[in-house]
Amino acid sequence: MQKLGEFKLPHFFNYPPYFTLQPVRDTREKQVQLWKDLILDYCRTQKVFVIGLEEEFPLFSNPVIGRSLTHEAREAFLSALVADGRAEWMDKGHRKCLILWHRIQEWAEILVQFARDNGLEDGVVTMEEIRFGTESQGTELQGIDRTILNRALKILEQKGKLVVFKGTSTDDEGVKFSL
Amino acid sequence: MRRRPGIGGLQTAAAARDQYRLLGENVAKIRTDLMKEQLATFRSQLEDFARKHKNDIRKNPAFRSQFHEMCAKVGVDPLASNKGFWAELLGIGDFYYELGVQIVDICLATRPHNGGLINLQELCHLLRQRRKSDRGVVSEDDCLRAISKLKVLGSGFEVFSVGKKKLVRSVPTELNKDHNEILELAQAQGYVTVEEVERRLSWTSGRAIDALDTLLDEGLAMIDDGHRDGKRRYWFPCVSPISSSIGVDS
Repeated sequence: MQKLGEFKLPHFFNYPPYFTLQPVRDTREKQVQLWKDLILDYCRTQKVFVIGLEEEFPLFSNPVIGRSLTHEAREAFLSALVADGRAEWMDKGHRKCLILWHRIQEWAEILVQFARDNGLEDGVVTMEEIRFGTESQGTELQGIDRTILNRALKILEQKGKLVVFKGTSTDDEGVKFSL
Repeated sequence: MRRRPGIGGLQTAAAARDQYRLLGENVAKIRTDLMKEQLATFRSQLEDFARKHKNDIRKNPAFRSQFHEMCAKVGVDPLASNKGFWAELLGIGDFYYELGVQIVDICLATRPHNGGLINLQELCHLLRQRRKSDRGVVSEDDCLRAISKLKVLGSGFEVFSVGKKKLVRSVPTELNKDHNEILELAQAQGYVTVEEVERRLSWTSGRAIDALDTLLDEGLAMIDDGHRDGKRRYWFPCVSPISSSIGVDS
């Protein structure tokens, strides 16, 4: 099986026609499903949160078989993820896509669990610490994208589970939990 | 017998004829009895054989295939019913029934990828993958037998040859001669171009495109516009040499 770093690529990735948007409906549905699963899988394991359509994202081409996804194809597959609630366009031009291998609500739950696991039910912690601190190492929160973190925190803030406060600089942004 | 003249002679002749006829009938009866006896002996020997080699029949596909041939010669069909000596002794009916169900499953699962046409070799490969934990190997012969049983149920399964390969069709779509020729052409590299079809088969452009479009619509072909040379390629998953076990790994 071909690999991308440590990631095992599925068989269809080596079959040239899958890199061309299929005109026949049933075939297209199968194709879109395969690509959606692959993109989510890859992003989850490699901790990729944002995909730029015009950038060199490794899944968009397979040099072994000499094929690349056209812009149209990339947009089609990502749009399908957006329709599933598994991604969001970050701009009107559909150039950047935020990948939600966990939905925002799921991230919120993970944050609550993180607070409980580390005795932070009434505690204070900075954004930096949530993203890169020792407690989050080895957990899903490690390296989480800022945009996603902010969105998840906002949901929890609206539910009264925490308060976000700004410090003197973005590095000091923090959170007070009240679980 | 010496012929005697007169009425006495006629009576003797009649009696002689009767005796010959009786003899003839007896001989025929003896022959039939002998045959029946031979057949019965053969059958019971076959049963003994089956009993003794039950495990070999279960585990060894070559052995199993030859066993079927032997049975066929004697007029015994171990798969005819799920009850009775054979099914109970060998559980063979269940074996093929199970295979049939798994084959249908695999065909359905791969249909979005190959349009309902699958290479027999690939089918067997996927079958073996699925049955990894079961004892015994499954041969192509076993697959063919299971499929022939499926046909009897009227499930629309058909095996046909394209060039050197056997394909299993699980959809009602019947392929005409033009389609078959394209499939055969595609076996070399897994794909064809319109130009190639025109050139190798000496067809008009219209005929080639028509046939290819039908195959595309039926889900048997996929287009590929990504080659540097800019020529559209029509790929056929059912003849592709690449193992494309898409979404069937259970």
